[in-house]
Amino acid sequence: MEVEKKETQSKETIRRSERQAFIDNLKFSLYLLRKNPLVMAGILMVVFFVVTALLSHVLVDPATAGVYDFSKNYGWSKDAWFQWGVQARIIDEFHVFGTDGWGRDILHMMILALPLDLSIAVAIVSGAVAFGVCLGAVAGFVGGKLDEAILRITDIFFAFPGLVLAMVFAAVFGRNMVSLVMAVLAVWWPVYVRLIRGQVLAEKERAYIQALKAAGLGRVRILFRHILPNTIYPILVQATLDLGGVILTFSALMFLGFSPNPAMPELGNLASDGIGHFFEAPWLIVFPGLAILTIALAFNLLGDGLRDVLDPRLRR
Amino acid sequence: MKIYVYIIRRLILMIFVLFGVSVIVFVLARGFPSALDPAAMYITEHTTAEQYAKIVEDHGFNKPLYVQYFYWLQDVFGGDWGVSKWAASQPTYKVFFDRFPYTVELTVVAVLMTVAIGIPLGIISAIRNNKIEDHVSRLIALTGYSTPSYWMGYVLQLIFFYYFYMWGLPYLPNKGMVDEFLLGTIPRVSGVPILDGLLAGNLTYAWSALVHVLMPAFTLAFISLGTLARLIRASMLEVMRQDYIILARSKGLAERVVIYRHAMKNALIPAVTLTGLLFAGLLGGAMITEYVFTWPGVGRMSLQAVFQGDSNFLLLYSLVLAAIIVFTNLVVDVLYAFLDPRIKY
Repeated sequence: MEVEKKETQSKETIRRSERQAFIDNLKFSLYLLRKNPLVMAGILMVVFFVVTALLSHVLVDPATAGVYDFSKNYGWSKDAWFQWGVQARIIDEFHVFGTDGWGRDILHMMILALPLDLSIAVAIVSGAVAFGVCLGAVAGFVGGKLDEAILRITDIFFAFPGLVLAMVFAAVFGRNMVSLVMAVLAVWWPVYVRLIRGQVLAEKERAYIQALKAAGLGRVRILFRHILPNTIYPILVQATLDLGGVILTFSALMFLGFSPNPAMPELGNLASDGIGHFFEAPWLIVFPGLAILTIALAFNLLGDGLRDVLDPRLRR
Repeated sequence: MKIYVYIIRRLILMIFVLFGVSVIVFVLARGFPSALDPAAMYITEHTTAEQYAKIVEDHGFNKPLYVQYFYWLQDVFGGDWGVSKWAASQPTYKVFFDRFPYTVELTVVAVLMTVAIGIPLGIISAIRNNKIEDHVSRLIALTGYSTPSYWMGYVLQLIFFYYFYMWGLPYLPNKGMVDEFLLGTIPRVSGVPILDGLLAGNLTYAWSALVHVLMPAFTLAFISLGTLARLIRASMLEVMRQDYIILARSKGLAERVVIYRHAMKNALIPAVTLTGLLFAGLLGGAMITEYVFTWPGVGRMSLQAVFQGDSNFLLLYSLVLAAIIVFTNLVVDVLYAFLDPRIKY
């Protein structure tokens, strides 16, 4: 009786100190985040873009994407030689970033493009993470021939030059959003397989996993309940960084002309409008491109900051 | 494991990887209904129906896909990479290797610029950790790899070509790899314009080539210097915490000596490997930049090949670049073992 009581007491103490350690850890993380102004800027930018994306249909009537007013397409007229003069005229008429070839306001189109771009980025990254967790965890945990086979397949995909695979994919499977998403996914998943495999391999050798094995826990349970939760931070950092990278790649495909519909409000597609008219109407590329840059930068700042905060080696 | 056993093992794996790459490209480019008829690359307006039938028969285009693959493989081992429709049905390897030196030139200059900017940026970032210099260099690095390359290319053109021209300043050219009137004035030796100009003793040509490469190379360098700068920073921070650095400081060496003589040597090892990988990656990743600057390299050609369904060119392009990427990986790993005696294979 006495012994049992003592045991619960000591367990209680351990739990309390664990909780204290967790809170201290969190406080320290927040302190590190606060100390770094760039990370704060990243967080604010991400919040700004997400809120704008959520409110996009309130801010701009989505129907305006289909309204073409060719009397307003300043960008294409021959006398629009000295751009910033034209730009000033446009500001007079409340088209801050100018108008595109269909006479639509570019700022409005950019706002309408945000939810599409962000949700596609999230879809592709979560698809890649899911794929990577399945293959990478199995490869790292089971090992042997299966590991070798999975690694060799990822090697093949790593050897492909840059965008070529995505472009061939997009060209073969037709011009629709699903095929474009699959195309970017096809390029992106191998990174996660390697990352997660490495994490699982490192974690597998730790003493607590040996203890769990000795305690007779099932392999699947050990993998999903104990190993994977401990590998979450590097994956989180990589995924945050990749949200920016995916938007860049996806909009590059759109820019190169894989868009299913040239009038679709998507940032890369908006920019591709200006390819033949760059010197007459630079705003067609400059502003949508700048938007892509800032979104990618926001996620990169956030991911880079998270890495510093979550990396135990850099915390000391 | 002895190092040569390791190298042989990796070379065998390389063959496997190249085989996989060729299968994937082949299936994608030939195996789907949306793919272009591969026989279309061989025909001209003078081809008769009989000749067409013979082309189809010779190359096995009417056979099942896996049989077609072996036909292709047989051709390739015989040195026949097929023809490319786009370039007036020239042999594909000629189309490719005529343009490849231009891409190599662009990539080499871009890598030099990346190293020249990225390494100092990373070192400053590390020695002034969490100070204002670190934040600025981090911002530059992250902006670099958040920038769409076409945007960077166009903005550079707008400023250094268009506005400089409008303002009457000396401006940078925005198209091609040398001035048009200089094309064909010197014999082609290596194919690399700057080098050929120097070899021919024609400084006008070399200068023109150098001026033409600046903007596209800077575009590539800007988008890739972030990776290098961040890596240098991380490895520098890691090294600065080592005991031998503390020792060097405690024996009274100047901070400058500690950083440049002791820390930097070890911190630059990962940079060597990354620079190799960067080179391989940029060779295959320059297509958008080449497109924006009308650079006549293989990247822009591959873009055209995708749109025109030129599967012969795509197969050659992806195989050569995959071979370069895999081979660079191997060289870098072996080099790593030489640079860092702690690493064993």
